[in-house]
Amino acid sequence: MSASARAAEPESEREVTITRLYDAPARLLFEAYSKPEHIKQWFGPKGWPVTLCEMDFRVGGKFRFAMTGPSGRQNTPFGGEYREIVPNRKIVYDNGFETKGSGRMLVTVTFDEADGRTTLTIHTVFESIAMRNSHVSRGFEQGTNSGLDQLGELAAAMVAQERS
Amino acid sequence: MQTPDAQNLDRVFAALADPTRRAILARLAGGEATVNELVAPFGFSQPTISKHLKVLEGAGLVSRGRAAQFRPVRLNAAPLQQSAGWLGDYEQFWAESIDRLEDYVQVMQRKEKRHVSKRKGR
Repeated sequence: MSASARAAEPESEREVTITRLYDAPARLLFEAYSKPEHIKQWFGPKGWPVTLCEMDFRVGGKFRFAMTGPSGRQNTPFGGEYREIVPNRKIVYDNGFETKGSGRMLVTVTFDEADGRTTLTIHTVFESIAMRNSHVSRGFEQGTNSGLDQLGELAAAMVAQERS
Repeated sequence: MQTPDAQNLDRVFAALADPTRRAILARLAGGEATVNELVAPFGFSQPTISKHLKVLEGAGLVSRGRAAQFRPVRLNAAPLQQSAGWLGDYEQFWAESIDRLEDYVQVMQRKEKRHVSKRKGR
C-alpha cells in the first residue's frame, strides 16, 4: 500500500484507546514506564515475562523488548523510538514487531493526575485499518478469541515437536 | 486495501476461528496424518474435512505431501508462530498489563513510604 493510500484512511478507524484509573500519583506510573527494572515487573500478559528489555529512555532513544511465552522460547522482538517525553505527563513512541512486513503503530501514553489519582490513557494509532483489525478482536469473526487462547498451547506443542 | 502480511494474518486468524480446524491442527502437531486418519476422530465426512483442510492450506498452516495415494497432511509452523508473535489480542494484552501495573505501582508506593519513614526516623 502506498503512503498516500494509508494516509487516506481515517485515524478514527485505525486507533484503539485503553484507559485505567489508578490510586497512585502520576510520577510513580511514569517511573514504572521509564526503567527496565520496572517494565519487567508489569509489562505484558501474565505468563509472558519480558526477557529482553533494552531501553534508552530519552527523545530519539530506542527500545527493544521481547517476551518469553509458556513454551520457553523467546518471541519475536518488538520496539521503536521514543518520540516525545514529558516527565510525569506523557510518553509517545512508535512500536512494531521485527517481523518482515509488520506494520508500525504510534502509541501515546498520558498520565493525568487529579486528587492523588491518575488516569492512564494508552492511545494507539495503527498504520492501517487492516493492521488494527489484525490486532483487535472487534475486527474479527466471532470465536477468534478462543482460537487465540489455544494458539499458545498449540505453538508450545509445535515447539516441543520440533525439539524432539 | 491490505498489505500482503495483513491479508495473510487475516487468513490465519479466520482459519483458527473454527474449533474443528483447531482440533485438526492440534492433531497434526502430534505428527502428519492422511485425510482418512483425520476423518476418523472427528466424526465428519471426508468432504467436510477436506473443506477445512483447504482453508488451513490457504492460510499456509498445513501442506500436503506429494505421495499421490495418501498425500499426508502436515502442520506448517511458520504462520502460526508469526501470529503468536502478536501475542493475541491487543486490548487483552493491555488489559492484563495495566492490571499488573496496578499491583506493581502499589509495591512502588509501599517502598517509597518505607524510605520516607526511615528518613524521618533518623
